[in-house]
This record gives sequence, structure tokens and C-alpha cells, in this order.
Amino acid sequence: MSHSRGAISRGLLFATFCGVFLALAVGTVLVRHRSVKSSPGTEPPLAENLSILDSRGGLLFSSAAFDVTNGTIGVSPWDAPEEGRHRTELRCERVHFAAGAGLCLTANRGAITTFSARVFDPEFRVRYTVPLKGVPSRARVSPDGRRGAVTVFVSGDSYNSTTFSTRTTLLDMSTGGQIADLEEFAIIREEKPFKAVDFNFWGVTFAQDGNRFFATLRTGGSIYLIEGNVDARSARILRDGIECPSLSPNNRRIVFKKRVSPSQWRLHVLDLDTLRDEPLAEPRSVDDQVEWLDDRSIAYMIPSRESSGGGSDVWMVDVAGGEPPRLLLRRASSPVALKSRGETRTR
Amino acid sequence: MYTIDWARLFSRTSVNAPRSKVGAPAASTSRHRVAATVWYLGLTSFFTDVSSEMVSSILPIYLVSYLHLTPIAYGAIDGLYQGFAAIARLGGGYFADRWRSHKAVASIGYGLSAVCRLALLSAGSTWSLLAGTIAVDRTGKGIRTAPRDALISLSTPSQDLGYAFGVHRSLDAAGAMLGPLVAFMIIWRLPGNFDVLFAASFFVAVVGLGIILFFVEDAKREVADQPVSITSAFGLLRIAAFRHLCIAGGFLSLATVSDSFLFLTLQQQTGFSAAYFPLLYVAVAGVNSALAVPFGRMADRRGRWRTFVTGHVMLLLVYTTLLTPAPGAVRFGLALLLLGGYYAATDGVLTAMAAPTLPGNLCGSGLALLATITNAARLLASMLFGALWQWVGLMQATVVFSAVLTVGLVGATLARPRARILR
Repeated sequence: MSHSRGAISRGLLFATFCGVFLALAVGTVLVRHRSVKSSPGTEPPLAENLSILDSRGGLLFSSAAFDVTNGTIGVSPWDAPEEGRHRTELRCERVHFAAGAGLCLTANRGAITTFSARVFDPEFRVRYTVPLKGVPSRARVSPDGRRGAVTVFVSGDSYNSTTFSTRTTLLDMSTGGQIADLEEFAIIREEKPFKAVDFNFWGVTFAQDGNRFFATLRTGGSIYLIEGNVDARSARILRDGIECPSLSPNNRRIVFKKRVSPSQWRLHVLDLDTLRDEPLAEPRSVDDQVEWLDDRSIAYMIPSRESSGGGSDVWMVDVAGGEPPRLLLRRASSPVALKSRGETRTR
Repeated sequence: MYTIDWARLFSRTSVNAPRSKVGAPAASTSRHRVAATVWYLGLTSFFTDVSSEMVSSILPIYLVSYLHLTPIAYGAIDGLYQGFAAIARLGGGYFADRWRSHKAVASIGYGLSAVCRLALLSAGSTWSLLAGTIAVDRTGKGIRTAPRDALISLSTPSQDLGYAFGVHRSLDAAGAMLGPLVAFMIIWRLPGNFDVLFAASFFVAVVGLGIILFFVEDAKREVADQPVSITSAFGLLRIAAFRHLCIAGGFLSLATVSDSFLFLTLQQQTGFSAAYFPLLYVAVAGVNSALAVPFGRMADRRGRWRTFVTGHVMLLLVYTTLLTPAPGAVRFGLALLLLGGYYAATDGVLTAMAAPTLPGNLCGSGLALLATITNAARLLASMLFGALWQWVGLMQATVVFSAVLTVGLVGATLARPRARILR
């Protein structure tokens, strides 16, 4: 019966093999969870609205803390962003807010994960929910609070397909209705209409009037900055090589990420009068659509160095001058500047 | 329905039934039974596919929502990945023949992919590490395909090859169907715990690796040891029957619209949310898994070439479904059913046709060559379809591909191979 004995010993070897690696897998997860749990764990107080902020305003963000607040909106006052941190119960992976109107992009977990955009008010009440066609990436509300822009990633989700495409839609913040998919807009290049099926739009930023906007268009392997008009449903190509633009409050400059290698971006600032750009004093790679804190400085997300995966911090840097960037808020992403209290009241 | 012969399953060397000569009757005891090696390789593929689909179905959410990365760069290097996979596939088949161990080379391929699951966990949000891990995963998949198929064909009497590949592909597709469901279940129950997901995926891959390592043995060949060289590998194209299969497989693949384009067309027609795309892959894999064995047996009994052509007729019907103004639900149901049937009737059947045309000492190289030709043709077809879509529109592109597929089918019917083994 050497056959059955061989089978038994092989079965034992197999069981041992699986057991060793099961222990390795479980061990890895336990070690990671322990290191995560050991991080400071006092839960921040709950904010039911934005009244915790004084006249100097504050920050809204998506929490990246390794506790129950992970993935929910947090609020911090300017003076003490770390100590004054508050939590909310609204779950958003990406958030933006202006003039009393908030836009929250989130995943609805289920047998199949789906995604939605939520329009919320300063009391963090959800007023409208809009289903999304892919994984949320960028959110913007126009400075007048009238319009919102959402970028999602759509993928084939198969073993062989790793190509991603983007979809960018504009929303009416007062009704939650869709104004347009940017792919419906007429695009002008050098005074001529320009159209291709491989158009991908992302990273909308609105001007003060809520009508003029800038965004990124990728087609045929090139990346362009476009300037558009929502009412006219059209846009024109301004320049190439500009990704994820963010327009300054005075509408004169754009901070964007410039690709320096297939997976490395550096922040640059573009002067809209001259269309010339120069690098910011941030030496690290930044993959984010930045938020202007005022006309001089910006905030953005950087993945935390200490944690492999998921953790991120919010940093700030001045647009002009060579001051090095500084840490604004730990364990957060998607920063939004709430400049004054007036802006945060219900319209 | 498919009986497992436990006695054979747990016996040692006899599991690798000697490869019988073409047309020769198999030993009466093993008639229409699938060798244990095939079951084991099927289980290895099942676990590996559960593992890899767990990760790939969740990767977009992980990259974008969790790591806050912009995966547009990911698409840019996709061509590079495909190139890696093609070279790895050819290399895997060739070296498995040369070193005379298909098991060893296939195991390396499965092992590489398993290691990648843990590597993904420690790659964090560093792009170069993420991209490198994905490239290694693809390389692993490329390496293992041909040696594994060679093992299946060398362990099976040639009249049962359709059945054997049917069993293997059925288990493989079942894994592809379960993977995304398991992944979404984990993320549903444990939101944000991607480390649990990757660790679970790693363990599932290790189970698959363990099965091939401890239960699969290299097939004993009847062919005397002959030197294996690059020249002899490419010289396989001088074998008329094999060359015909490469040409037919290549041409028909050129008329194949990729699943993602088909789903995109369905989605544009019906307004179906793209968020549910993973479900479509699950459904097609489910149909494929259910039909692979019946089509495999049909191939052995009624003719492999005929089954292969029937599969492509189903693909043509998928295109037709997309072009007719049927109600959305009907269109979805028909398209998914036919697409699953197309895979079940073609993927394993083509390999089952090719294997008996190859000398045993070059089986891995030959299957790798065939797979590379059909994959390259599919990639080219995807690019052509994309370009046509841009120039003339989605519907028109589908019409063009339907026409090319019809021409291919007429040609395939007329050029029915004379070699008896292919029928």
C-alpha cells in the first residue's frame, strides 16, 4: 500500500505548507492592525454643523485616521487644526464645499460596490444623492455654490484590462440634477472644432462666477488644459502638459501637477496672463487637485511615509517664495478651505 | 455529474496515463475519465483565479478611493505589461520543454503570482512598486499557461482532450466567477480592510500553489529525449496541421471584440451603470464554467473543429444581438449567455486541437506559440476596434467586425482540416 501511504504523506505536506502560509497571512494582518491601533486613539468630538468655526474659518477634510472616523468628514478651525479636530457622521472619500453647498463622493459597500455623489448642507444633511458610474476621484463646488463637478474612474475590471478612463459630470447643486457630461461639450482647438472618442476629462476648477471653468483633457496620449463655459457648453484648449488645475480665488493663477515621470508629479503654478509656469517649493511628488487656502498658499494630500497604504496627511506651501512646505493636518485628505463664516451658512 | 475517480485520484504514478497514439483506443478502464492531474491542475487554476480576481476586481477602488492615486498612468503602461506577458509565455513554454519539467516552470509561474499578493500589501502607495508588482503578476501568469496546458495534454489520451480541457477551463472560470464576489463580500463586511483582502488572496493563491507542488507530477513521455532548441520550437510551424490552427486561430481572433468593448456597447445602448461592470464578467465566467465541460465532450464526440466554429458562430450572434433593437434585458441576457458559450466552446477546444499535432518534447513551446499568436491578434483587434469606433462609430465598428468574423467563419468551414485528429 505504498500508494496510499504516499498520498497520506503528500496530504500532510500540503496541509503543513498551507498552515505555514496561513499563519504568515494572519500574522501579517495582525501585526499591521496592532501598529494601527497603537496610534493615538481619542475620538474627536462630534460637530453637528459648522458653528464650531470662528470668523477666521477653518478646514473641512476627509479623515484618514485609523479609527471609526476613517473616511468621514472632519472639521478643524484654522488656529488649532490638530487639537480642534471634530468629526461628523457623513462618509465621504472626497469632499468639497463652497457658499453653503457641499459635495461628497462616497462608496456604497454591498455585494457589488457602487458609488454616489451627495449634495449636503452646512448641517451635514444630505439633500440629494446622485449615483456615479465609477470610482470617485475629484470633487469641486463652484465658489458661488451653484455648481458641482465630479470626476470618476471607470475601468474594465477584468484580468486583462488595466486601462482606466475618466468621466466628468457637472451637477446643479440646487437640484442635484446633472447639467452635462463634459464629453457633450464642444471642444475648440486652434479655432477649429476638435472631437475624438478617446476624450478623457478630469479635475474641474470653477472661476468665481461659477460659469467659467478649467479642466484637464487627455486625448491621443497628450494632456491639455482647457478653459470652458458651462452655459455655452463649450471649451477651448489653452495649453498642453497641465493636469488637475486649481484656480486661485483671484482667478489669476492655476496650480497644477506636472508629470515628471510615469508616476511622479510636481506642483507648478501657471500665470494665466502669460501662460508660463514655474515649480513650487514642494520637492515631493503630489497626486492631488490642490485647494487654495487664500491667494498665496495651497493645501494638498501626501501619502504618509510611516504607513504602507491608506494613510495620508495634508500639507501646505506658499505659491511664491521658496519657503518649504509644512504639515497642516495629520491623517487627512481632500482638504477644503472654509475662508469665512459667512460662506458656511445655509443659503 | 462528472464522476471523480477517487482511487485514481490518490494513486501515485498511474494518474499520468500514457499518451495514446492518435486514434488508438484508450485503456478500457480509463475510458472518458479525466486524469487526476487534470483535476489537480483545474483546482490550482480555480484557487489562483479566485485569488487574482479578488485583487483585480477591487484594484480600482483600492488605488483611487483608498490610496488616492490617479490610475490614468496605469493605462499608459498596459502595453508594456502585455509585452512582458507575451515574452514570459513564450519563455515559459520553451524552457519547460528544454528543462523537461512542465511542473517546475508552471509552479514558478503560480508562485510568482502568489508572492505578488503580499507584495501589493507592502507596496503601499508607491507607484513604481505597485506597477512592478502588477508586472511580475502578469509575468507569472504568462509563464504558467503553456506548461500547464502541456501537462494537461500529456496526461490525457488524445481522444479525451476536449473533455480534459473542458474540466480545467470550467474550474478556472468558476474561480474567476467567485473571486470578485469574495472580494466584494470582504470589503462589504470589513470596509477599508484591504490588508485582510490581500492576505486572504495570498492564502488562496498559496493553496493553489500547494496543490500543483504536492499533487501534480510531470507526465512521462513516450517521445525519446530530443534536443530542444529555439530553431526546433519555431520549426513547429512547419507541421501543417499546427500551422493551419495558428492561422485559423489568429484570423478568428482578429475578428474578436474584447469583452470590455462589448460591455461598453451594451452599456451605451441600455444606460446600464458602469459600476456594475464586474457583475457582467462574473456572469460570463459563470456561463463559461457551466458550459466548458459539455462543449469539451461535444468536441471529442462530434468534432473539435465543428465545436470551435460553433463557438465563433455564438460570438457572431453576440454582435448581431448588439446590432438588433431588442429590449435591453433580452439583449443583456442573450449577449452574456452567448459570450459565455463562445468562451466555453473555443478556449479549451483550440488547445485540445493543437496539442495532438505537436511532438511531446515540444508541447509547451507549441502551445505557447499558439497562445501568443491568438493573444497578439486579440490585442490588434482591440486596437483596430478602438480606432474604428473613433473614426466611424461604435455600431459601424461592430458591423465591420461582424463582416470579418463572417468571412473567417466561411473560410473556417471551407478549410475544414483534413487531419482526422482535428475533427
